[in-house]
Amino acid sequence: MHDALTLDARANHWLALALGLACIGTACIGYAIGDTFYLRLATEALIFGGLALAVDILLGYTGLLSLGQALYFGLGAYVSAVTLIAFPSFWTAMGAALATGLFGGLIGGLIANRVRGVYFALITFGMAQVAAKAIYNTRSLGASDGLIGVPVLDVNLGIVTVSTASPVGFFLLALGVVTLLYALCSYLMDTPFGRLLIAIRTNEARVPFLGFRTTTLRLGSFVLASCVASLSGALYPMLRGFVSPELLFFSTSGNAVITVILGGVGTLVGALYGSIIFTIVKSVIGSWTEHHLIVIGILFMAVVIFLPKGLMGLAQPLMRRMVHRGKP
Amino acid sequence: MLEYIQFVLAPQVVTGLALGVAVILVALGLTIIFGLLDVINMSHGEFYAMGAFIALALGQVGLPFWALLIAVPLLMLPIGYVVERGLIQRVFNSPDRHVTTLLLTFGFGLVLEDGLRLIFGPNPHRPETPIPGAIEILGTYLPLYRLFMVGFGGLLILATALIVYRTRLGAMVRAAAFDRNMAASLGVPVEKVYAGAFAFGVALAGIAGVLLAPIYSVFPTMGRDFILLAFTVIIVGGMGSIGGATIAGLFLTQVQAISSLYISPVWADPIVFAIMVIMLVVRPRGLKGRLGHA
Repeated sequence: MHDALTLDARANHWLALALGLACIGTACIGYAIGDTFYLRLATEALIFGGLALAVDILLGYTGLLSLGQALYFGLGAYVSAVTLIAFPSFWTAMGAALATGLFGGLIGGLIANRVRGVYFALITFGMAQVAAKAIYNTRSLGASDGLIGVPVLDVNLGIVTVSTASPVGFFLLALGVVTLLYALCSYLMDTPFGRLLIAIRTNEARVPFLGFRTTTLRLGSFVLASCVASLSGALYPMLRGFVSPELLFFSTSGNAVITVILGGVGTLVGALYGSIIFTIVKSVIGSWTEHHLIVIGILFMAVVIFLPKGLMGLAQPLMRRMVHRGKP
Repeated sequence: MLEYIQFVLAPQVVTGLALGVAVILVALGLTIIFGLLDVINMSHGEFYAMGAFIALALGQVGLPFWALLIAVPLLMLPIGYVVERGLIQRVFNSPDRHVTTLLLTFGFGLVLEDGLRLIFGPNPHRPETPIPGAIEILGTYLPLYRLFMVGFGGLLILATALIVYRTRLGAMVRAAAFDRNMAASLGVPVEKVYAGAFAFGVALAGIAGVLLAPIYSVFPTMGRDFILLAFTVIIVGGMGSIGGATIAGLFLTQVQAISSLYISPVWADPIVFAIMVIMLVVRPRGLKGRLGHA
């Protein structure tokens, strides 16, 4: 016996599978025609999709709007870059980023979870802004120029070795990492932990009466989100070879929120679709005009007004019918 | 010691005060909009930038400074009114008003910011100081323009408080903030009050832009840096409180000004932010109660 939420999650898995297949198809075509630019762009879309996943856990499940998720994305990227420069190993860098996400998430969560609603949005915004300013002014981290010179890596995956310099290889690696993050998040959201987060979003005052501590649950979701953001961020320097303070700026956090709204809040897979569409839109408009923010702002307002459930809000009824037909 | 006060501390305090009144003007708009409409206006910083740019454009046409102080808010009132009626009201009754209005105004802020960049270019402009010179008070030289800012801004803050707490119009605003439906059934034109208050807040941000333009440069992203401080002020002061925003604004800008004498100004921001965090831990509601509730 499955409830509506599980069935919805299954419908989303089909959409995620379709996305994964499309990505592998893209990789094959890209490999066949020897493309670099578009594969790099697609990799970037996946990486920022990971950041959007983190925003969706907080916004779509726990009901907390984070305006500073770029804090953990940027910290993950910086830690990964510093680690790679000192000791070029993929697994060490990812491990360091995970530790940063855990530790930073605990500290940030203890501060931000003291408050709710708009206060939460503003305090996450503030934390990211202060950290961004601190890095922007720290000479040893490259200050406003950022850190350059992240070496090319050979990632040993046991069976195969992938070089980050290979566009198709690294694209598939990023796809693997983001898929794992997606699988982890959607698994957790289908456990009692995830259901309690939804309960918090729906009515936080009632959850303690069921015998659960909301502070622990909220902290858990915050740490999960910061780890997901941090691990996605860790891939960024491997892709671009540098990190810059812009990764922590409000524009990064804001874009992640736009991505989630565009894809559909509370669906997880919507965050990934949203990121791909957003990256395409940004790059297409960016090639026409340097004033792409106007278009993005208008797109954003239009989605908030006319499409509050995002693209998944359009796709989900169809998928739901498809999945429900097979099950009683 | 006396020299230290005369030449270092006192000018820094006045500089802090001048910034303080401008921050309070921006924060007052934010806090009134939040107190009344329950909306976080993420585009508020861009309205502040817009005020500075309108002043820049009108100043180049040849309007004198005192005329700008009247013309800019008058121009921004209708803009604010239209934005409230045309944009915010569209999603005002959606189930999660905080999030949707925040996102909507954030999108609008992006459009405004890039619009300013499109019209005026990305480079900073610096208008001339309208009141040049300095005055000696008790052996301390203080720039006249900053003293003017403190005086003029102080008067505006006082006037805002008087309008909200001592006039019939203010009573309507407070009534609408306390209970929208009750106020409406007693004949308060709630929708006009909402739009009017939003326009008023936007005009205050515009005036802050005019006042600060000669001190800081005018550039399209100027609102972004400023808005964090304004948010900190309204959180510490209590969201939706006029008195709280004033006290917090004065206190935090003084902390910033004086601490940057001893440490690098870069690290003054984290100190101000730390005060906000401590405030949230100790007293999450802020210094004072919300508009219409206390």
